[in-house]
Amino acid sequence: MKYEIKAHGKSEMRLKELWQFRELLLMLALRDFKVRYAQTFLGILWAFLQPLVTLLIFILIFDKAIKVNTGSVPYPIFALAGMTVWNYFSYVVAQAGNSIIGAQSIITKIYFPRLIIPLSKALVGVIDFVITLFFLAGVLFYYKFAPSFTIFYLPLFLLLLLILSGSVGILFSALAIRFRDIQHTIPFIIQVGMYLSPIAYPASLVPEKYRLFYDLNPLTGIIEGFRWCITGTEGLPVKSIVFSVVITSFLCIISTYYFRKVEEVIADII
Amino acid sequence: MSKVVIKANDISKVYTIGKSSGGNLRETISNNFNSLFNKRGNKSTQEFWALKNIDFEIKQGDALGIIGKNGAGKSTLLKILSRITKPTSGEISIDGRIASLLEVGTGFHPELTGRENILMNGSILGMKKSEIKRKFDEIVNFSGIERFIDTPVKRYSSGMYVRLAFSVAAHLEPEILILDEVLAVGDTIFQKKCIEKMTNVQKDGKTILFVSHNFSAVKSLCSRGILLEGGENIFDGNIADAINLFFASSSQLSGNTIDLSSLERKGFAHELLFEKISFRNYPIEFGKPIQFQVKLKSISGQKVFKDVDLGVAVLDRNDNTLIHCSNRFINKHFDHISDTDEYLFEIDNILKPNVYYLNLFLRTENTIQDWLRNVIMIEITDGNPYNYNDNNHIYGSILPHFNISRI
Repeated sequence: MKYEIKAHGKSEMRLKELWQFRELLLMLALRDFKVRYAQTFLGILWAFLQPLVTLLIFILIFDKAIKVNTGSVPYPIFALAGMTVWNYFSYVVAQAGNSIIGAQSIITKIYFPRLIIPLSKALVGVIDFVITLFFLAGVLFYYKFAPSFTIFYLPLFLLLLLILSGSVGILFSALAIRFRDIQHTIPFIIQVGMYLSPIAYPASLVPEKYRLFYDLNPLTGIIEGFRWCITGTEGLPVKSIVFSVVITSFLCIISTYYFRKVEEVIADII
Repeated sequence: MSKVVIKANDISKVYTIGKSSGGNLRETISNNFNSLFNKRGNKSTQEFWALKNIDFEIKQGDALGIIGKNGAGKSTLLKILSRITKPTSGEISIDGRIASLLEVGTGFHPELTGRENILMNGSILGMKKSEIKRKFDEIVNFSGIERFIDTPVKRYSSGMYVRLAFSVAAHLEPEILILDEVLAVGDTIFQKKCIEKMTNVQKDGKTILFVSHNFSAVKSLCSRGILLEGGENIFDGNIADAINLFFASSSQLSGNTIDLSSLERKGFAHELLFEKISFRNYPIEFGKPIQFQVKLKSISGQKVFKDVDLGVAVLDRNDNTLIHCSNRFINKHFDHISDTDEYLFEIDNILKPNVYYLNLFLRTENTIQDWLRNVIMIEITDGNPYNYNDNNHIYGSILPHFNISRI
């Protein structure tokens, strides 16, 4: 193995190198998962409990009190589909955003592609995501609600969700190195984001004149599309999805490019 | 003719101290705003050259010791070689798989068990999963903590923790191994075990770069030495010469007779100073008494100092005081009447062969006059007091005479 260390190298993607470190990525994700529920009484049950409680609150407020109209889809299925997407996104952004700062003891001691750290958080999130999917399947079964053929489109939206969450997580993790302020804004962004995304209510409730701004939120298209895959009702929200794809691609390029730039000086400024 | 595995060409590293480039949003915005209008933002920054124009070549199978004072740039150099940070200028070409150990137990998580941490730490150090699995038993054996391998490491004693961590590191099989002071941790027996292991690694034709203040370890592992001072490479050659030069050029003094009068001093009265210390026999052989005499010098013109308290302490490099003697302890009272008088110390010596600090303390009545800390080094040379063939497995800093018998 030959390589050069130069003062001013180009910031390349170095995907091959990333692939060489795939075992480390897996180990870091596994470590996070094991540690998360260590010494808790309920252990992995927490992964079920959290969405369950949120769902109950949503039902109470949006279904019983506000009586949001979700057409032929039972409200719990409607809300849970949105939550599944949202929970993954918010978990990855929150965890990845603080991940580099949290890993500074490793970063200043050993070399590996730093991108692995936020990526490992995106990987851990997948475990919770799958658990929530099982939960969703249970609720579908309870309501004897058979998903339509549109469910075969689901992988497309999952891919979009993975890329979007990863990109935003990577971007925040890099920004947080330079600006510690980011750490404090992440919980705020997540809180606001939950109300600005069609999780507990359908996007059709948003007045038409604000709809363009609403669609700028790349999660709008993903959540609506995800829900369309599960329930197969209403029309496919094409416009929102196009917005989602464009914004997600943009974020993906920007975040990895910026991360690679910051990566070179991480150990010096962290 | 072995090939060159590391070639460093004109490496420099500058750190800006004061205001750092990272930090908070408000500062960055206001700086950018200022520069927009061509105003110089409050640039209270200073440059610090951690490394300056370093050149060297390392051939396969070399064992290179990098020595120097704290802040000489040793760690920065290792960080650049391990690709943790980039040089400001210059370039390095490396040919071979590098493993760097700037710390033991990188990535250890207290909640995980010993077994899980071995896997974790191994993959952080760049081992493949299959490689770790293959060496797993060997690693556990080496650490000697088989019984606790499925216990979370937060329940480990610090000694166990270090041993497990080091065992993983010791089983790395890189082509180039970078070590930073890692042998400073752990108990002495374990240190020796590790040095043996590293020596074997080196015999296998692996290249080693080693930074340490533990000169006996450096000497036993390395043949070549680089001496850094103020970020510059001031010597590259035989390790023994490098160490000698280090002592000669540093403020740490050792030798037969040491002139102490020109040392910088502050904080105490300094009307009466230590002028000179001379050893009767140096280096001090194990078991032979530590004998030296000190000469004092009056600075203030005052000729007579009453009730002199002459203290001496011998410390190991971790700042543990091993010996503390003073004339007052044994009810001897002197008045210093003339600078021509000298004071002779004779101290029984059962210290294990190693390098120690010798601190001198001087008080007259209740005034502290002079206190020399961490400047004089003494070396106790090798000896095998018990004629025991497994000398490496004798722990402890003092080796007393003892007897064990069946009665």
